[in-house]
Amino acid sequence: MKVLAYSSFTFSYLNRARVLFESLRRHHPDWELVALMTDEPPPGFDFDPASEPFDRVVWASDLGIPNFKSWLFKHDIIEVSTAVKGPFIHQACAGGADVVIYLDPDTTLFAPLDPLLDWLGDHDILLTPHLIDPNDDHMAILDNDISTLRTGIYNLGFVAIRTTGEGARFAKWWNDRLLSYCYDDIPTGLFVDQRWCDHVPALFDKVKVIRDPGYNVASWNLSRRTLAVGKDGAITVNGYPLRFWHFTKLGPLGDVMTKRYAGDNFPVYEIWAWYKRQVAAATDPAIPDRWWAYGRFADGEPIEKAQRVLYRQRGDLQAAYPDPFASGRGTFQDWLAHEAA
Amino acid sequence: MAAEAPVDDVPWVLSAAVDAAFYQAVYPELGAGGYEAVRDYATWGWRQGRDPAPWFSAAAYLADNPDVRQAGREPLEHFLTQGRLEGRAAVPSEKAEAYRLVRARGEAPPAWRLEDLLAAAPVVSAFLEPGPRPAPVPPAPPPEPDPDEAALAGPEFDADFYLRVNPDIVAAGVDPLAHFLAAGWREGRDPALWFSIRDYQEIYPDIAQAKVNPFLHYLAAGRAEGRTARNALGFRYDILAKLRPVAERTAAAARAAGAVAAQPAEVLAEAVSLSRTGLKDLHITFSHDDYPRNFGGMQLCLQREDAEFAALGRDHLHLYPSAPWLVVRTAGEPGPLGVLLNGREVGIFTAETVAQVLRATDPRRNGARSYAVHSLLGHNADETADILEAAGMKAGFFWLHDFASLCAGFHLLRNDVEDCAAPPPGSAACGICSYGEYRARHLDEHRRLFERLDLTVVSPSEPTLALWKARAEGPARKTVVLPHARLTDAGPAPVPAESGPLRIAYLGMPAAHKGWPVFRDLTIRHGSDPRYRFLHLGARPDPALALEFHEVVVTPARPRAMLETLAALEVDAVLIWPMCRETFSFTAYEAVAAGCAVITSPESGNVAAFVSENGFGLVLPDQAALSDAVASGRLEDLARGRRAPRRYELSYSGMTADLVRQRR
Repeated sequence: MKVLAYSSFTFSYLNRARVLFESLRRHHPDWELVALMTDEPPPGFDFDPASEPFDRVVWASDLGIPNFKSWLFKHDIIEVSTAVKGPFIHQACAGGADVVIYLDPDTTLFAPLDPLLDWLGDHDILLTPHLIDPNDDHMAILDNDISTLRTGIYNLGFVAIRTTGEGARFAKWWNDRLLSYCYDDIPTGLFVDQRWCDHVPALFDKVKVIRDPGYNVASWNLSRRTLAVGKDGAITVNGYPLRFWHFTKLGPLGDVMTKRYAGDNFPVYEIWAWYKRQVAAATDPAIPDRWWAYGRFADGEPIEKAQRVLYRQRGDLQAAYPDPFASGRGTFQDWLAHEAA
Repeated sequence: MAAEAPVDDVPWVLSAAVDAAFYQAVYPELGAGGYEAVRDYATWGWRQGRDPAPWFSAAAYLADNPDVRQAGREPLEHFLTQGRLEGRAAVPSEKAEAYRLVRARGEAPPAWRLEDLLAAAPVVSAFLEPGPRPAPVPPAPPPEPDPDEAALAGPEFDADFYLRVNPDIVAAGVDPLAHFLAAGWREGRDPALWFSIRDYQEIYPDIAQAKVNPFLHYLAAGRAEGRTARNALGFRYDILAKLRPVAERTAAAARAAGAVAAQPAEVLAEAVSLSRTGLKDLHITFSHDDYPRNFGGMQLCLQREDAEFAALGRDHLHLYPSAPWLVVRTAGEPGPLGVLLNGREVGIFTAETVAQVLRATDPRRNGARSYAVHSLLGHNADETADILEAAGMKAGFFWLHDFASLCAGFHLLRNDVEDCAAPPPGSAACGICSYGEYRARHLDEHRRLFERLDLTVVSPSEPTLALWKARAEGPARKTVVLPHARLTDAGPAPVPAESGPLRIAYLGMPAAHKGWPVFRDLTIRHGSDPRYRFLHLGARPDPALALEFHEVVVTPARPRAMLETLAALEVDAVLIWPMCRETFSFTAYEAVAAGCAVITSPESGNVAAFVSENGFGLVLPDQAALSDAVASGRLEDLARGRRAPRRYELSYSGMTADLVRQRR
């Protein structure tokens, strides 16, 4: 079975993606590993894909998205990094792979994902919910159960499909929706690519909801998952092998949530300490902090979220300024400075 | 050693940490002894690159830490109060080795490492305990506290605790509650053991942002709202938070070793010519340090081995890495060897020089020859084998004092927090362990050693050997079990005339890997239970706990100090609950010899075996079972009155000399 695994990220997440791809390569040396990047290398950083732990890079600009610059401008970094997952998985269905697996760049494998391939014998679409056990504690209900009602039942840091049948039909549908509606707009009922997938069990057949606690362990489900490391060297979650961890929010905020729900389950801190060491070792100082090539106008002025929202809401602006990143007279930036006020 | 001095304009911690004898010896031109040395260092010395102690290079610290240099901070005080907690490294003074050689002629040993300083100067230890750090200047008298705040905080504020953990407040003589309300909380000082200022601020960033006193907020509102007073993350979280990458520590060791200058072969050759037999009859040992200068179980073993071989009339050549290493060295990493001949320091030489001098002795004169590898830490397998080859030896002994032959984490404590039992090297557990990537180095170097030499593995206990046999790679080897000590019945142990509360003691340093947090939690949970009396016997107390403490310092001059104190206090039971499996445990033997029962966990290695095989106490499955046994009163069966225990004399083995005698 030919498997393609991909992750979508920008250069500021290259360090995390390296850790993910190294773990994928360690456990699945025969899988094709693809980096889907919506960015351009920062000046002074010599990006050599051949020396990276993935097989190839696909640039978002090469996905054939119509009016790419205009489309891109409508999204902030999170929105666009999740939106491009749709076109890629749709196109990959015609690329020769039998199975396509998406993993967020801040996930890491700790054991092989072979059971996924077994499940894909009977199913075409695999999803991991944020929660597989309900919380009873008030704080945990607020932080986890209610939060996922807003952002989506399934965590789209992972999805796996067969490239035929319902898997292909899902990929086409997701592609279509994400090209037009992949925004962080919770009041409207949208949360990037993720909230859409609440529909999946209703819209598609052959969907498997993975209820194995070893998959997609993260701060949002630690309240109901206990980690252990055995004398045989195996790491388990509620007794099941730990497959992959989702290291969401590397930093103080993530630390607070992890501590709140891991308590004295110390192997959780061992895993995090290990991950922080790996990310630090994979960090290239030539990549500026928070770098994103599409975060600024051509003259270097930062693009504000409100400017992106205005542009995506106004068809007339999109028509008048097909390259909204441009600077100088007669550009969208110029319009913003003189007309928008 | 640290100078006795009043606290004045010199940062408080420096007055205890600057090694005045070292300072005076290496900077004789200053004529600054005693407290003058401290003052000179604090005012001018560090700016001019002078080092305050043999274990600390001021210049190297400033070079390694540009932020400290740019801030104009004095490096030693920064390291002690801040840097070490942030994982920054200290590098030994370049003058340390020269000074070491001078001192080796018989004077009292200086503090070579931070650990030595901590053991020797309890005030520094107290100051450096994890937790809030006193301000660098003595606290000013606080203003009168707001009466409402004082009324709210007063009933819950633990003044005794506050004074125990903040010796500078004691020294300043200010009112503890007034100080806490005016300044202490802002400095992160906790008002009681059960409340953490820093945790509360971290969990509730709104409180931190509002800059209100977290303790007052908790008492006025937070408690009723169900807020958390202190994170319950367990002591292992604290260990992990401070874990320094092995690579970083190894790099620091390589830097320190690279700065050590080796001496010429003539110096060693001259010492050899003046030895007992001119190396005709020779015993060579290898370990991780110089056993006369450091104190611990392995060092005691080597002292005995030295005495035994002296009795056999052989010369004893001991080789150790002149700068301490955490791991074995691979080829190319610098590691000049310190050389002791019959217990006296000769100097520092390269491995090649040692081999050259040994090779130069006339092989036709060679008499009785033997060797033992006690630890390969800081050594390199090929260098070690080359030295032994030069001495004409192949058959010898390899001791299992620890598990360095299985992993760089030689206590087999994954990430320093849990016994791992040396799982397969490619396991997920090794994958997340900070020692994982150094495991192959240890396996490779030990494999090389075993390939090149004809080694008999000596274990001080059966469980240690059993684990080693199950995990070691390569073909089966000759093995032997030789306990470091045996018990000889010396009659009934004293039993208290009156049955009082059960006396449960913890022995030694309040260190996590020795099980202090387990004992600490027990005393916090059950300290007020009238059925029990908890005692701590050791060199220094834990200032955070109000616990009955008896100072006991075991030294070569007083090796029976702990045993005698246990007997005198008629301690009923000793809690020995190490995180890592003990290969032998002198502590357990001492406790039993003094008539005490031992309470331990199944993961304590030879302690559990010693206790269960001989009925010397209780092996309880985990901490919950321990707490249950205390609560239910089951532990009361361990009272001397109920057990009618025996006393024992400890007879120590002759170490490798016993094995050599057997072979003759």
